[in-house]
Amino acid sequence: MPEIPAEDALETEFDALAARAGLAVPDSRRAAMLQSFKDLKRMTALMRQPRTAANEPAGSYSLLSITRSL
Amino acid sequence: MTKALHDYSIAEAGALLRNGTLTSTALTKHALERIKAIDPTINSFITVTAESALTEAAAADDAFAKGIDKGPMQGIPHALKDIYGTAGIRTTCHSKLLLDNVPTEDSVVAAKFKAQGAVLLGKLATHEFAIGGPSFDLPFPPARNPWNPDHIPGGSSSGSGAAVAAGLVRMAMGSDTGGSIRGPAGYCGTIGLKPTYGLVSRRGVFPLSYTLDHCGPLSWTVEDSAIAMEVIAGFDPLDPCSADVPVPDFRGKLDKGVAGLRLGLPRHWFAQADGVSAETVRAIDDAAQTLAKLGATVEEIELPDYELYNACGRIIMLSEAFAIHEKDYQTRPFDYGEHTYLRMTMGAFVTAADLTQAMRLRRELSLAVNAKLKQYDALITASTLTPAVPFAEVDPHGPPNFPIQTMPFDVTGNPAMSIPTGFSSSGLPLSMQIVGRAFDEPTVLGIGAAFEAATALNLRRPASTVAQAA
Repeated sequence: MPEIPAEDALETEFDALAARAGLAVPDSRRAAMLQSFKDLKRMTALMRQPRTAANEPAGSYSLLSITRSL
Repeated sequence: MTKALHDYSIAEAGALLRNGTLTSTALTKHALERIKAIDPTINSFITVTAESALTEAAAADDAFAKGIDKGPMQGIPHALKDIYGTAGIRTTCHSKLLLDNVPTEDSVVAAKFKAQGAVLLGKLATHEFAIGGPSFDLPFPPARNPWNPDHIPGGSSSGSGAAVAAGLVRMAMGSDTGGSIRGPAGYCGTIGLKPTYGLVSRRGVFPLSYTLDHCGPLSWTVEDSAIAMEVIAGFDPLDPCSADVPVPDFRGKLDKGVAGLRLGLPRHWFAQADGVSAETVRAIDDAAQTLAKLGATVEEIELPDYELYNACGRIIMLSEAFAIHEKDYQTRPFDYGEHTYLRMTMGAFVTAADLTQAMRLRRELSLAVNAKLKQYDALITASTLTPAVPFAEVDPHGPPNFPIQTMPFDVTGNPAMSIPTGFSSSGLPLSMQIVGRAFDEPTVLGIGAAFEAATALNLRRPASTVAQAA
């Protein structure tokens, strides 16, 4: 599983992604946002586990795939 | 009348309406009086439509007098979470951004209740856009828990849970993307049914996350929810997720019991979870024993780690939610409440690769649940992991994080119902979920009805509201 980046790298990535999204995060909310971002990175790391090529998402938008796993 | 009007179930009130011993007008006036007496304490309603409700009640009474019977909700008061579009009635999503939003068309669910002659009492509080709350920086106060108004009612269908628990309505509609029906149901001690993905049209309901959103009822009893489902379920060709499948008989198994059913219990999800209360675990273990005594076989099962489901669902939800709100975030971000801002903005930080990996995992996780449901008729597991927390513990400047375990079945789409399992030592409700195969709501409801009858937990009402209004 990929490691979660170090704090300074996280901040750099946070700033870059915020700028790309056109967001100006106020200083008063920055600490809470960074904490949430850290949690998000933990979750996105969880998504990256060994998986076969057959596990692909095209079928995820099929109702039967989602609800009946066909 | 042998009991207070709000204690009559939808079916019981319906029978009285049909034999002429009760009028919809009397039922509606009673509900409006309770709202007036109790709601200033719990803030469950944003908009009360008293005048149109009385008009609709009179129309229902007229229909009954003429022998017209459009179905079980005719003449029955109900309410809608304020993300359901209602023609001519303000629909705010509890947000400054939509304060003046008056739709010209009803959502499909609102239209279906209207077509059946149900009486709409008004629109209910929610976390802002079904994601941000409970907050005190929004145009309306947050709903409060009728069991103890110092505590949260859960969210995002906060007003729906509070209104049903307080006996203001027997049934209110909520929506569920990560647990927004089952969380408030758990905290408020009501039934909360998230139907199978695609079974109830979402058209006209303000979206939070296209591939995770579900519409469903919160109600005082299992049967009340079954009746609501009879009205609202069905194919809608204009809702892209709508399922063109036969509508099941939602009341068909309410009296069938659980004898012979096999129930899987993924106890490892909740028994050792961070923050879980010992009372919650004990109540679910006791519930499993109750179901076993009623004739079901309950066996512990293993599923993929709970956190995988939670992370998968949250990544998808945040991405889709931010996509819906992207323009407003760029142009008027501080019109959103702080909780909404802190939560939803995270969607801007999810990459395309993150989302694709989540969608890949989603399929795997769905397969795992449905494989178990080939061996078991249903699953039982935790809903809320603790009793409702006090408002004093909610950080107004940090993302709220309440311990509930509802996300897995938004990810998989399976029907899942929260049902009370008892009360904490502090007098707050505890809960569990019953989870079924896709489109097998009748089995979920049937298990719930058997458990409800065995425990009679629905006979206990919040003392604070009982004291304030008869």
